[in-house]
Amino acid sequence: MTAQMFFIGFFGLAGVWFGIVVFRTYSMVRSALALLFSQTALGAMFLSMQAEFLGVLQIMMMATEMSIMAIFMVMFMMDPGGLGTMDMTHQKRLSLITGFVSFVAAVAVAVFVDWGPVATTFPDAAQQTVDLGLELLNRSMLIFEMAGVTILTAMIAATAVAIQPLKRGKEK
Amino acid sequence: MTTLLIVLLLLVGAYFVAVLEAWISRGRFQLAAPLLAGIALLGRESIVPRKPDRIFFEVGPILLLLSALLAAAVIPLTPNLIIADLATGALFVNAALVYVLVALLMAGWGPDGAYAMIGGWRFLGQLIAYAMLIVMPITAVAMRAESLLSTQIVISQADLWNIVYQPLGFILFFVASMALAFLPPFDMMIAKGELAGGVEAEYTGVRLAVFRLGRLVLIVTLAAATVIFYLGGWQGPWLPPWAWSAIKILAVTVAMLLAGRYMPRIREAHLLSWCWILGIPLALTNILIVGVLVLEFP
Repeated sequence: MTAQMFFIGFFGLAGVWFGIVVFRTYSMVRSALALLFSQTALGAMFLSMQAEFLGVLQIMMMATEMSIMAIFMVMFMMDPGGLGTMDMTHQKRLSLITGFVSFVAAVAVAVFVDWGPVATTFPDAAQQTVDLGLELLNRSMLIFEMAGVTILTAMIAATAVAIQPLKRGKEK
Repeated sequence: MTTLLIVLLLLVGAYFVAVLEAWISRGRFQLAAPLLAGIALLGRESIVPRKPDRIFFEVGPILLLLSALLAAAVIPLTPNLIIADLATGALFVNAALVYVLVALLMAGWGPDGAYAMIGGWRFLGQLIAYAMLIVMPITAVAMRAESLLSTQIVISQADLWNIVYQPLGFILFFVASMALAFLPPFDMMIAKGELAGGVEAEYTGVRLAVFRLGRLVLIVTLAAATVIFYLGGWQGPWLPPWAWSAIKILAVTVAMLLAGRYMPRIREAHLLSWCWILGIPLALTNILIVGVLVLEFP
């Protein structure tokens, strides 16, 4: 139990640290891959909590997603190598306030919500996969489909906003 | 002990792949050549480019080797010779192999060289092409075994190997794993003769040796994965299980290298359109067919 607590804490802190690194670097690729390792640390937290399928899935999905994000950041940022003096942060005051409020809210939720008794027995890894599959195709199907479509829409919209419109007839 | 043995076997396998590759591509069978080339690489100066992204430059080759080794951890060579029989084994293979992409991106971006960077991004383009063709055939394999345990997947092929049960899935997985291991004809990120070595271009000495070793281990791992998913793993008559595993892995490796020998190089953009227009519909069809077969002939 203590070893488990240690690893959960360790990977949690690693996740937070890599999250900070995302904004401490000027290189877009470093930033994207720092976010990847932050997410991988979350996957390792799942593994420490014996949620094997979720952990492996998180570790797998994030590697592809963050790498693809890296190429988008290189394509659309004016200084992808971070060789100039580009600032990664903007609207500092607003971000600080929002960040602090969200942090307090998250801590409040974690502390004040009655989570019920800590589970002492849990299904084995193979059974967890089965249960998760049934859950995803039954009760939670609508939520997941909606989340998927929303994310896809957001991706297409973000790309459309980021691309400078071509001035037809004026090329070259 | 098992871990040590499997790592040792992987290294021996990697050595044979190096010998085979030289034999198939250059027509010379030289048993000692990889050893001599390895020693020569270790003896050479390991140059660091002028303005590298040092972390990525150093981590890239090591991560490549590590991800190939991790993927091998869930592959059973005999019923008992497996490092970790995870309940999510089939998924874990893919999860570990995705980090090949991260390694190549790092190795491409790290040295601050044009050829290397183009090679790295090319591999990202290639991943978008082949990734679904790795995952979807594995899904169909797991459907038949009704489990993600890699040992269970092998046992499910006791009566009929998956290569016969789902030949379409086998072809897709075989091609996709060649693309994952950036074997010819999918070697645009190395592209000897065009990109001057691509991702490898800026590496020398020890770092290049680790990179090449990682690539060889990756080929062995993928051949082993093909064997447990489609060729019945360790199963076979007369011979002991380990011998069957060895023979099958060797056969798959030779098939991969030979297939690459006689194909023209495929540009990643063309690969992308082939994979998405033809490959993914075929992979979905495969899942559908296997679904019907599993229901009708369990």
